[in-house]
Amino acid sequence: MSIEASIHQALRHLTNGQATVKVNGNTVGQCLNGLVKQFPGIKPKLFDKKGRLLNYVDIYVNLESSYPEELAMSVKDGDKLHITLIIAGG
Amino acid sequence: MLTVNELERYDRQIMIADIGEEGQEKLKRARVFIAGTGGLGSSAAIYLTAAGVGKICVVDHDRVELSNLNRQILHWDEDVGKKKAASATEKLKKLNHDLEIEAIEETITEANVFQLIANFDLIVDAMDNLPTRYLLNKAAIEKNIPFFHGAVYGFEGRAMTIIPGKTACLRCVYRGVIPKEKFPVIGVTPAVIGCIQATEVIKYIVGIGELLKNRLLIYDGLDMKFTEFKVKKDPQCEHCGHVRKG
Repeated sequence: MSIEASIHQALRHLTNGQATVKVNGNTVGQCLNGLVKQFPGIKPKLFDKKGRLLNYVDIYVNLESSYPEELAMSVKDGDKLHITLIIAGG
Repeated sequence: MLTVNELERYDRQIMIADIGEEGQEKLKRARVFIAGTGGLGSSAAIYLTAAGVGKICVVDHDRVELSNLNRQILHWDEDVGKKKAASATEKLKKLNHDLEIEAIEETITEANVFQLIANFDLIVDAMDNLPTRYLLNKAAIEKNIPFFHGAVYGFEGRAMTIIPGKTACLRCVYRGVIPKEKFPVIGVTPAVIGCIQATEVIKYIVGIGELLKNRLLIYDGLDMKFTEFKVKKDPQCEHCGHVRKG
């Protein structure tokens, strides 16, 4: 399973500046865990201490919101993940 | 009925077949509430004023600071220290003195939000924090007023149009809260997003085009690309879950 994860601009300093990262997994959660294995520094920006997705992180799969399944949402080879953060500046 | 002066002033947009004199009259009759006169509010307000929206109310409780001037283009060097709402309306009235332009120098709160938005047809979300955005979103849904969302951070901007009861609302899309923060931003980002919000407002008023309904548009100025995410109305949404399709 090869999934392309797009990394939000504000997180790219944690992925060595990479805008996209190849990850593997059958679910969004597995893909994010794979991302964390490659770039451990991103973990606290995605998950709380109990391993739940932070509520200001939004995941889109093939340009559609993964809510409410989120981490449990199934993905397949070739899918595209977008990892985004809420922004609120005006 | 448009005056001779208005026919000349808005000639180039009246030439757009989808607008015409009828569309311009709709703009003249419209009443738009702009929450915030920062980067987004400056950009949106200028173009809605230039387009001839008949009544515009700008709401802001802040005073102009020097560090605002890289992006909040309604405020100039001479305005540092002045109330933003007053500074904004002064420029907007100079741009188009035929319009009714009102300044409200208040903080938007649960206690006053319904009073503030009463008598307006549309709300532009040009705030700089999530709690007030959520407050306005909820009030807009309760009062069945279209809500035009925009937000920025650095080179990134977002826009979405919310039609109460029919589309996903801000709370359907965002469930989290981030603290009010000093956020990084380059002025061109709110310029782009404020113009997109103004475009959506104009289209809604005139009744043309495809709105950003159930579509979260993300602008990435660094990579210079627009990405569109599909979003859905959440039946369990705490703001709009109870509102049925009208």
